[in-house]
Amino acid sequence: MAIPVIWLGTSMTWYIIFMGPIDPATRLLSEGQVRNPAAYEAAQTQLGLNQPPLQHYVDWLSSLIVFDLGRTWLLYQGSSVNALIMDFLPRTLWLGFWSVLIAIFIGVPLGFYAGMRSNTVADYVASMGGIVWRAMPNFWLGIMLLAVLGSSQAIFGFSWEAIGPNLTSGISGNPDLSYMAGNPIAFFTNPNATLQAIKKVAPAAIVLGSASMGNEMRIGRTAVLEVKNQDYVELAKVKGVSDRALVYKHILRNALVPLVPIITSEAFLLIGGSVLVESVFGINGIGYLFFQAAIQGDLPLVGTLMYVFILMIVGINLIQDVLYTLIDPRVGLEGE
Amino acid sequence: MSVNGSRVADAFTDGRTALWALVGLFLFLLEAGAVLNFVVSLTIDGLLAIPGVDAVGFLTAVENAVREIPTLLSRETIPNQGYFDGSGYEGTFLGLSPAMAWAFRATLVYLYAFAAFGWGVWGYRIYRREYRAADWTPRDDVFDRFRGHKWGIFGLVIVFMFVTMAVFAPALGPTTVDQNMRNSYGHEIDYWDSDSGSVETILVGDANLDSLSQGNDQNVEPWTYDDYGRFHPFGTMQDGSDLFTFLVVGSRISLVIGVLSVALSASIAATLALTSAYYKGRVDLSMVLVSDAVMAMPQLLLLIMLTTVLRESWINEVYSGGFLLALIFAFTGWTYMWRSIRGPALQISEREWIDAARSFGQRPTTIMRKHMLPYVTGYLLIYGSMTLGGAIISIAGLSYLGLGVAPPTPEWGRAVNLGQDYVRTGSWHISLIPGILITLVVTGFNALGDGIRDAIDPQSDSAGGETAGAGGGA
Repeated sequence: MAIPVIWLGTSMTWYIIFMGPIDPATRLLSEGQVRNPAAYEAAQTQLGLNQPPLQHYVDWLSSLIVFDLGRTWLLYQGSSVNALIMDFLPRTLWLGFWSVLIAIFIGVPLGFYAGMRSNTVADYVASMGGIVWRAMPNFWLGIMLLAVLGSSQAIFGFSWEAIGPNLTSGISGNPDLSYMAGNPIAFFTNPNATLQAIKKVAPAAIVLGSASMGNEMRIGRTAVLEVKNQDYVELAKVKGVSDRALVYKHILRNALVPLVPIITSEAFLLIGGSVLVESVFGINGIGYLFFQAAIQGDLPLVGTLMYVFILMIVGINLIQDVLYTLIDPRVGLEGE
Repeated sequence: MSVNGSRVADAFTDGRTALWALVGLFLFLLEAGAVLNFVVSLTIDGLLAIPGVDAVGFLTAVENAVREIPTLLSRETIPNQGYFDGSGYEGTFLGLSPAMAWAFRATLVYLYAFAAFGWGVWGYRIYRREYRAADWTPRDDVFDRFRGHKWGIFGLVIVFMFVTMAVFAPALGPTTVDQNMRNSYGHEIDYWDSDSGSVETILVGDANLDSLSQGNDQNVEPWTYDDYGRFHPFGTMQDGSDLFTFLVVGSRISLVIGVLSVALSASIAATLALTSAYYKGRVDLSMVLVSDAVMAMPQLLLLIMLTTVLRESWINEVYSGGFLLALIFAFTGWTYMWRSIRGPALQISEREWIDAARSFGQRPTTIMRKHMLPYVTGYLLIYGSMTLGGAIISIAGLSYLGLGVAPPTPEWGRAVNLGQDYVRTGSWHISLIPGILITLVVTGFNALGDGIRDAIDPQSDSAGGETAGAGGGA
């Protein structure tokens, strides 16, 4: 199922970009160059647009399959797209990783807490907070968070820059991941740099994870509510299992099952949302690259990046299926 | 269902119904001018679009005549744009201060809207009690359950207020878009100059330049007057125009795009879900494939890609790009709704009455429309309400990035963008207020969706419908 989805998605992208109302070749050239037939011809040849469409389609697709992504036209003119993605992708992955993790570590416990104490004031406050939190637009939340952190000295009495690891270059911007280049173990051996990089993306990660956090909370709450009324929980209670064991062994474990698909399906939101969050926080990630390519008219790059996004999403979906079968053996791979 | 002549006569001899009709007539008369104006301008636009019809003179005469009909809730009846002439206010309603006059008009608009809503509910209840042949229908239970659903009612109130805001946008703002933004150098206002102690006249554009909100030294806060005696409920924007007017008019385009896109994607989703549920097998599989492929492209990125590619096409001219945006939303967003109704549709296609209808030789389209569609419309309503919230967030997100709705047209996301540089200064309101409004409206739509879901299907677990209002990550 994964292969046809990738093929179909990529074909749609190709169609939109190369068969759409805009001629990618003219978009790439400046005003003067468009009138210069030689330059226009050259651009067309380089893009392969003077070939018959089908030929062009096959060429384009096959070069994507072998990851021969070509060179950029306007953005970072002439640099290799492979190198560009390798440069930008880690920052997005870093941001995405922490936004998933922060969302899980805040959203799930809150949801479970609300579920365990359902219909109390704490539950209402938590649920209400989750609902409102989820309804906030990410870009706006980001702006507000930056404003609050930027003037945290005046609001909270301590400054965000001063607590914990020092941030040398402002509260937002690119996390410095270069220390890990070619040496992923540095994540553990160089804790100071790791903490700095985490603190740098933390606000962005919280914003990016806000929607998922709300969802996870809600699902976590209902899952606990459902499991709480199951017969086996009653039985365990009657058997005299201690409260603590009851909660951790019988309730939480089973309540985790419905959370898995939610967590992975948040990937859609994370990747889509990365465009806005990266522009607000000034992180040079792949979403930001996509946006720049789109507004500056580097349409071939847009298509290539879309292919990368499709690969990422399909990959995450595959992981989700595997995870799901591992956690809940009742679900077969052929499931539904 | 048909009400014949004698029942109509009965209705008017019955006191309560007559009272109800009278109240309705009264409410209509208050706004008759606005309604007629709307109808007339719509027909004029329609007629002018038809080539070969030359009736401009007559039509303008009609339009002007209609304009003359007094309307209760208009800027002319309750004006708030006056000036101080040293001893009192000139030109405002009853000589009130501009703030009070504006507040009075806004309150009246909302009172009117809620009265109209209440009138509708009242009419429905009279109909249900007195005129409907059946004492009880399943839909009654749905309404009753919804009435007891506080959270859903809350959502309904918020959504209703938002819709009122969009419908009455020109009457709600303290000033108009034309006077304050689009054509600010074509309008003049009078103001009280305290230095010279006399009333002076100034172009609106020049006045705007002196009421910018750009930080601590130059700022017009919410609920204050600027130097020219103009009242700003939400303060001014960075270019000196009125933020409230901007937002109120912006709510219109958000609502129109949102409703249009959700309606389109709901119809696409319903058609495809019914087809795949009816034919199953290969048809179903290929649709799963297509929807998976569309979903594999993150919605927001797809939106960005499509808006850039289609930016120069003719369709982008329609309604400041709003129509194109609605189309794009529909073609990227139907997958989520399709996923949600495919399951119920598949279940219904297994029922006996579908078999029965088939064996009677009914055509597939008839079966789908008559025997399957009514059972999934409830789900469409639920997911429609929830995706509307998401669509509003996405529209705002796109215009925050400078895509989508073309710049001079007010849009909420653009206000956030314009105020971004001043959030940490005294002019925090430009970004903060639109964001709060978006949050409120989206919460309202989600709550309404929750309420409708619990009303239609009380057994459903509230874990369903997780596609709710996340707006593709905007």
